[in-house]
Amino acid sequence: MKKDPEKKKKTKGVSYAKWGYIFILPFFLVYFTCHFVPQALTIYNSFFENYREGLTQVGPRFVGLENYVKLFTASSDGTIDILKYTGNTILLWLCGAIPQILVALLLAVFFTSYRLKIKGQRFFKTVIYMPNLIMASAFSMLFFTLFSNVGPVNQLLLSAGIAEKTIDFFAYKITVRGMICIMNFLMWFGNTTILLMAGIMGIDQNMFEAANIDGATPLQTFFRVTLPLLKPILVYTIMTAMIGGLQMYDVPQVLTKGQGMPDRTSTTLIMYLNNYLGTSKNYGMSGAISVYIFIITGIISIFVYRSLTKED
Amino acid sequence: MKRKVIASLMAASMVLSMAACGSGSDSSSDAASSAAASEAEAADTEEAASDEGTVFNIYAWNEEFKGFFEKYYTVPEGVTVNWTIVPSDGGQYQEALDNALLGQADAADDDKVDMFLAEADYILKYVNADATQDIKELGVTDFSNTYEYTVQAATDTEGITKGVSFQCCPSALIYRRSIAEDVLGTSDPDEVQELLSDWDKFEAVAKDAKEKGYYMTASFAETYRPFSNNVSSPWVDEDNNLQFDDQIQAWMDQTDTFVENEYTLTAGIWDDEKNAQMFADGKTMCFFGPAWYFNFCMGNAQDPDNGCSGDWAICEGPAAHFWGGTWLLAPAGSDNPTMLADVMNTFINDEEVCSALIENEAQFTNNQAVNQKYAEDPDYGNEFLGGQNDTAVFAAMADNIKFENQTIYDQILNEGLQSSLQEYYKGSVDKDTAMENFYKLVNEKYPTIVTP
Amino acid sequence: MNRDVSSKGAKFKLNLARTLVYIFLVFLTILCLFSFYLLIINSTRSNGELQAGFTLVPSTHFFTNLKNAWNDASIDIPRGMLNSFMVAIITAALTTYFSALTAYGLYAYNFKFKKIAFTFIMAVMVIPKQVSAVGFVQLVNKFHLNNNYLPLIVPAVAAPVVFFYMRQYMESTLPLEVVEAARVDGCGEFKTFNTIILPMIKPALAVQMIFAFVESWNNYFIPSLILTKAEYKTVPIMIAQLRSADYSKFDMGKVYMFILLAILPVMIVYMFLSKYIIKGVTAGSVKG
Repeated sequence: MKKDPEKKKKTKGVSYAKWGYIFILPFFLVYFTCHFVPQALTIYNSFFENYREGLTQVGPRFVGLENYVKLFTASSDGTIDILKYTGNTILLWLCGAIPQILVALLLAVFFTSYRLKIKGQRFFKTVIYMPNLIMASAFSMLFFTLFSNVGPVNQLLLSAGIAEKTIDFFAYKITVRGMICIMNFLMWFGNTTILLMAGIMGIDQNMFEAANIDGATPLQTFFRVTLPLLKPILVYTIMTAMIGGLQMYDVPQVLTKGQGMPDRTSTTLIMYLNNYLGTSKNYGMSGAISVYIFIITGIISIFVYRSLTKED
Repeated sequence: MKRKVIASLMAASMVLSMAACGSGSDSSSDAASSAAASEAEAADTEEAASDEGTVFNIYAWNEEFKGFFEKYYTVPEGVTVNWTIVPSDGGQYQEALDNALLGQADAADDDKVDMFLAEADYILKYVNADATQDIKELGVTDFSNTYEYTVQAATDTEGITKGVSFQCCPSALIYRRSIAEDVLGTSDPDEVQELLSDWDKFEAVAKDAKEKGYYMTASFAETYRPFSNNVSSPWVDEDNNLQFDDQIQAWMDQTDTFVENEYTLTAGIWDDEKNAQMFADGKTMCFFGPAWYFNFCMGNAQDPDNGCSGDWAICEGPAAHFWGGTWLLAPAGSDNPTMLADVMNTFINDEEVCSALIENEAQFTNNQAVNQKYAEDPDYGNEFLGGQNDTAVFAAMADNIKFENQTIYDQILNEGLQSSLQEYYKGSVDKDTAMENFYKLVNEKYPTIVTP
Repeated sequence: MNRDVSSKGAKFKLNLARTLVYIFLVFLTILCLFSFYLLIINSTRSNGELQAGFTLVPSTHFFTNLKNAWNDASIDIPRGMLNSFMVAIITAALTTYFSALTAYGLYAYNFKFKKIAFTFIMAVMVIPKQVSAVGFVQLVNKFHLNNNYLPLIVPAVAAPVVFFYMRQYMESTLPLEVVEAARVDGCGEFKTFNTIILPMIKPALAVQMIFAFVESWNNYFIPSLILTKAEYKTVPIMIAQLRSADYSKFDMGKVYMFILLAILPVMIVYMFLSKYIIKGVTAGSVKG
């Protein structure tokens, strides 16, 4: 590593501002060389008609806000599709994320509690993270066969007499959405637990001991010490769960074979985007959807971030 | 010690990132060393080459053809064959191929695509584009032995042929002998064919089968291809309006009846529920599929314990059709036109190679003369089909297959219609909603198509 | 209040709590292992059996599948694992180091554009990546960086999500007094960061290393378009390759076997790194 001969400058009153710039420089350099152009193009393209018909390129032709207008035009059955998919996405996200964060928080507290002194922590910590190691597509494939009409779940239900005839899990809104939520929960709660655990580990251990000496109950310790100190990490967890949730794609995509059945009630925003992007490379429409997701996520993020960080 | 490791990793990473940043702004720095090196190499060989390129680039999504090519084709001296194999999973193959073809004009000679493979489902996307070229001009002119539909599939709207298929995939009606015996009173392929030679007869038999406790087919979409292969109008008219051909309409009407009367199941053609019907205790009489289907995809029927190998036979069924197959296409701008034409000619007209494909690779080739030779072989029979000579059946029916009125939209439209209607057949939505969802899908996938 | 933790009532309560916690943990363990169990079951079954639908009973084809996958001509498993490992480990190292560096830069120093820089990173974190991923691949094609690991590795330096975590972590656990103290001791800024700050945020580094490693290891979309030569291909591309095989070679048994094999290295990395998610030792007892 470069050892700059900066030591002389350590005199008091010296401005360290330039170090801030130096430290964040690599990030911004790489961002502007690798990420910026495609991202900016995404937004730029949303104002153009730009797609392929087979191998023939149509456009780019400037169309102003036409793509956005189209996005919010009701289809002949009266629904504004994108709003429906926004609703689907938020619902699917909440049903997976709320239990995910609550369970993770609970586990993180268990694992770090020196009162409980959980044995076999290494084992549990490894096991709960394991579903996250399986590729989402493989995971969905497994669920798909598990719940198929001739799959083991149906066989069990039939032989136990719980169901009278085969239950088609892919024909009902509630079961498809339920499967997606369970899968997302299983895949991500271990991940969240580890994030929170690392956060709790980082908290100065003296704080807990002080609380203990002061006679705080575990519940009090949790709400008065752990939670406030953990808040930045919790904010992170909620924010990223939300950003990831609004971009939910692979689990419902593979599980429903891209169809979002039944009646597109498990179609998420990114699945919708992908319908435009996949076949026709419709950068115009998919760009517009991207910007829409960007704005929606942005609004919710600001709201969540503000409300979580304001109380202090 | 660990700190040292991390530190050295960091040092390395710093260097990497700095170098990469440099290369981003001015494209030819040494960060892109390997790319630069290969460019330099390309420049060297260019001079050494004669009038045609020394690198033959082939794009494919799996290694099936690569295997045949390496075994049966002698590459001209001095030419290196480069395979770019991109999995088809998630549409990646077409994505990579499209990028390459659209960049073909600007690519260095040795990077140009010289041949690529395509499946029937999306072949027209490439055939009807300027990215492919007339193979007759390259010297592929003898189509006397190929099956008509394989040429139609590779011919654009102006009648220019741009590729050939090295295989032919006629699809047959595959039936359970024992169930046919019970329902029809015979399991003889000729007699069964006589009783199932059109859709009216097919439906009448379905009724009889139902009365005896059997399903006619195990998927609502099982009969889709026999109908859709025989349309007399394309999916879109001249003004780009979506239209339903009589054949497609007939399939929908038939399927309504079949599902309503439980002549079939609501499973998709690849679903476990359908596959379960292939076991010995299955109750389904008919499946539709080509040789690859009953040889490789009917595992349940071949299962030594629960299967029923030998209890099957094939006949043409109500309508000639095909399923699958791989075509070799000629991209415009190839710098190896002679070799390209030679490869194509070899796999359709070289009798030795075609014979080897049948004998060693279990292929039904795109050479009628060679196929006929094996069709007439009295010693040949397929055990799974109770000793029936499937090549003979296929050879007889392959001439009747058509590839007409197809469009670049077909794959998405055919699959979309099926999956949308499946929700209706399963009872999740009413028919209007199902059709509405189909139109939505069409609008999303193809902005130019006007839906009702 | 009852301060005596060792009294009988409290002890009983603690034991009860402990039991409940264990029951809960075992329940979750079963849930998690079940998905794994499914995968293992499938890896023991032949393609024919897999076509027959799903069962919960293992079959006997584990070693056949292993052998078939290992010997498959279209893929080179050890090579793929090595490629994936290399890309994943460098990506993970880069992304954690530079994210921590960026986060520290914005956390520990005051400068004019600090707020704008932070807001900017937070904003770009929210842009969906699907569309720009396609654009990125086209950019890579334009600069002829196909079959090269740089386009997979370098972008990891700018990872807004990882940055955000590091920043939040520092806010929660890193008192700025430590930095002050280091300065008084005459420690250069870079040195402070590398030798004092990094060890203090070890749990955070370990966590993000794990996540970045796993993400890179399972990454399919962009690599499959960039790495088209056999010798460069990574594990997910090879798995997709098996799934794209023609009917005579198609074998889901191999696919599940490879998916299972592909998890082992990640598990080892996880177990190694999770050792560092331990109670951090904060230098001072003061919390800012």
